[in-house]
Amino acid sequence: MGEVLLAAQAVTVRFGGLVAVDGVDLELAEGELVGIIGPNGAGKTTLFHALSGVLAPTAGRLVVQGRDLSGRPAHVFAAHGIARTFQTPRVFRAMSVDDNVRFGLEFAGRRRQATHGALGSSRAILDFLGLGELAEVAAGGLTPARQRLLEIGMALGTRPRVLLLDEVAAGLSEAEVEATASLIRRVRDELGLSVVWIEHAVRALMRCVERVAVLHQGRKIADGLAAEVARDRAVVEAYLGREVPAAPGPA
Amino acid sequence: MSRRAPLALVLGAGAVLAPMPWLLSDFLLSLALSCLMYAGLAASWAMFSGATNYLSLATAAFFGLGAYVTAWGVAALPWPAVVAGGGLVAAAFAALVGAAILRVRGAYFAVLTFGLGELVRHAVTYGEKRYAGTVGRVLATAPSPATVYLTVLLIAVAAVGVAVLVRGSRFGRALAGIGADEERAETLGVDTRRVKVAGFALSAFFAGALGAGVAVRWTYIDPPAVFNPFIGFQTVLIAMVGGAGTVGGPVASAVVFSLFTEFLRLRFPYAYLIVLGVLLIALVLYLPGGIASLWERPGRRRAEAPSAEAAGG
Amino acid sequence: MSLWLDLAAGGLITGGIYAVVAIGLNLQYGLMRIMNISHGEFLMVGAYLAYFAYTGLGLNPLLALPGIAGTLFLLGLLVYRLCFRRIVRTAPGVEAIEARSLLVGFGLLFIVQNAAFVAWGADLRGYEFLAVPVDLAGARFGANRLVVFAFALAASLLLLVVLRFTLLGKAVRAVMQSPTGAHLVGIDTAVLHPVVFSVGLALAGVAGALLSMVYEISPSMGEPYTVTALIVITLGGLGSALGSLLGGLLLGLVETFGMHFTSPSLKMLLSYGVFVAVLLLRPRGLFAR
Repeated sequence: MGEVLLAAQAVTVRFGGLVAVDGVDLELAEGELVGIIGPNGAGKTTLFHALSGVLAPTAGRLVVQGRDLSGRPAHVFAAHGIARTFQTPRVFRAMSVDDNVRFGLEFAGRRRQATHGALGSSRAILDFLGLGELAEVAAGGLTPARQRLLEIGMALGTRPRVLLLDEVAAGLSEAEVEATASLIRRVRDELGLSVVWIEHAVRALMRCVERVAVLHQGRKIADGLAAEVARDRAVVEAYLGREVPAAPGPA
Repeated sequence: MSRRAPLALVLGAGAVLAPMPWLLSDFLLSLALSCLMYAGLAASWAMFSGATNYLSLATAAFFGLGAYVTAWGVAALPWPAVVAGGGLVAAAFAALVGAAILRVRGAYFAVLTFGLGELVRHAVTYGEKRYAGTVGRVLATAPSPATVYLTVLLIAVAAVGVAVLVRGSRFGRALAGIGADEERAETLGVDTRRVKVAGFALSAFFAGALGAGVAVRWTYIDPPAVFNPFIGFQTVLIAMVGGAGTVGGPVASAVVFSLFTEFLRLRFPYAYLIVLGVLLIALVLYLPGGIASLWERPGRRRAEAPSAEAAGG
Repeated sequence: MSLWLDLAAGGLITGGIYAVVAIGLNLQYGLMRIMNISHGEFLMVGAYLAYFAYTGLGLNPLLALPGIAGTLFLLGLLVYRLCFRRIVRTAPGVEAIEARSLLVGFGLLFIVQNAAFVAWGADLRGYEFLAVPVDLAGARFGANRLVVFAFALAASLLLLVVLRFTLLGKAVRAVMQSPTGAHLVGIDTAVLHPVVFSVGLALAGVAGALLSMVYEISPSMGEPYTVTALIVITLGGLGSALGSLLGGLLLGLVETFGMHFTSPSLKMLLSYGVFVAVLLLRPRGLFAR
């Protein structure tokens, strides 16, 4: 196993009376491709908010490449190589596709070394994602699927080492979901980034990643190889809500 | 985006306007001064508030602070120092207050900046009474009208020029990113706290410098005169009419509006404010397209599917 | 001891007014994201109505209160229809509603305030009403101040009761929590919005009428109250009427005590100080669970 790039240690996020994330431990090592699944309301996106510095955890620590960044603002996390996408694509609609990607390059990506040629320029990033032709189009005019890609492109612009992808395949057709999964694999294989991927399209995710963590009601209930987790009783219960004997896998 | 052409235009305009004190009558010169003042105020307001969507209604506070720096210092200090001092005091105040109030969302921020005018006015009134034993101040020493005009011209040119430069710079893009989607911009590496405070302070600098420069038009000033909310109101109205997302718009609109306001004020001393108020409302309600550059930015919680519209500039 | 009681009473009385104004603004902003920066101007209108009712018609201001509330309610419907309805309908998002309503409110502020200047002149006016001293718990208070406090408290509590127990109140709270959900169960925001907006304005008018019994009035009297209302909302939490009541009283106390020990001119500074403190330490309000 390579260097641990991102570690959440007993992270808890509480909103008033609601505990969204409850004492979650998660480690991401270099070169890993990890999936996070769990029923709605399991706290997956909130965990991402904590991992990227958007929300400060109520308790616990976030360690990025050995440095404790708990409670620091999001731009510090970005400067240390943590990039993320949001569930609903948040592109800068009035700017061109190219300018959107350049934004990350100009800020967090500025002082970071490009770990791969593909992260060196906005052109290269757009080409990698297949958006090269649309460079001058206003981001607001893209189709939802393309906006998702641009979301990823913006994140890549920060020249990250870790990419947190939040439901990038939601609402896509099956073919598009497959294409997304293979893109994510390429991001890890070709660009050398470590990826954490939240997804509801569980089957596609399970086929793509090596390791899966399962969240339920804010707690991590499983963390291991995809095949094992699929058979884990607690996981099956979480999804189906009742005990199922020897079920083949979550729905 | 090439900045050379707009900058050349600004400097050129400055050169053209420079000889006015020797060409225009006193009344027209005074009018020109108002136009320049509002051009500077509106351009620097738009530079920050237009880009970030943090609507500042604090222009009166900064302007007034600058005016008071003049009141305190004009007898003792050289003129350039007074004007620069006005700008710096306003900027420092903005940085200090901004560090606290820029943490809140837009609507709260706007109301709080609105209250700043009151707050500063009370503080200055109190301070003057307690430590200087006076209510208002007489400005006995004042530079010649030509000097005042040229000073204001210089500051206005600087304000507009800086606005142009910022717009095409990395800092300006950070401001625009904050206006488009602040949280997103932060995850892409923008130190939003610092950028906002810096932008706010920069904008305040010009408001303060203009206040310092223009204050000598009055021979006697007291807090209600210089901390007048109308200045903030007019600035916002001008910027909105002209298009707060641009630089040229507020400048052009400043000229039109200064003239329009002068005309109205001579005729209807209080009612003209009502007219302007109605104008602002009508503008916001029926010409949102005219101010599209300010408002048609993506909100943070947009759940609706993106439309196929080509986005405006 | 009597000094503390005096200050505390003064603080509560001021705070009671703050509470009424804040609840109104809270309803408007919490429900519709309309930041009505001209809120204070309608307080001023209420004050003038009470003044004219008393000096012109000889009407007891307390008796005039319902009439004033009603007048401002109707005025609110008009203002909403002319100025705000279009925003709520045509704005592309919540932030646009906020921004546009802010600007419209700013314009309204100038219109209403200057209309008052034009119509009634800039001079301070006042009237004497129940300015008789009353001995209570060993301290002296003006009867009018006691009455103001009682009525402010009553108005706030009335709102709280309405919000909690009536169908209208429940509808308001429902829309505040989930606009879509409320829509689905048939709550018609096209009716609810103007009503709530106007109730907010009516509250401001009532506060103004109460104030006129104790203080002198002028066209510019309303401005500071808008900012104060916002600070109270921050203290008490957005969307919580009870929070606004408690927050208002608290702020009134802090201000009164603070002013006594420093200087009356520093009132705004104190309020801002409180605001910044709450913002930094308890951003969701003092009473958030």
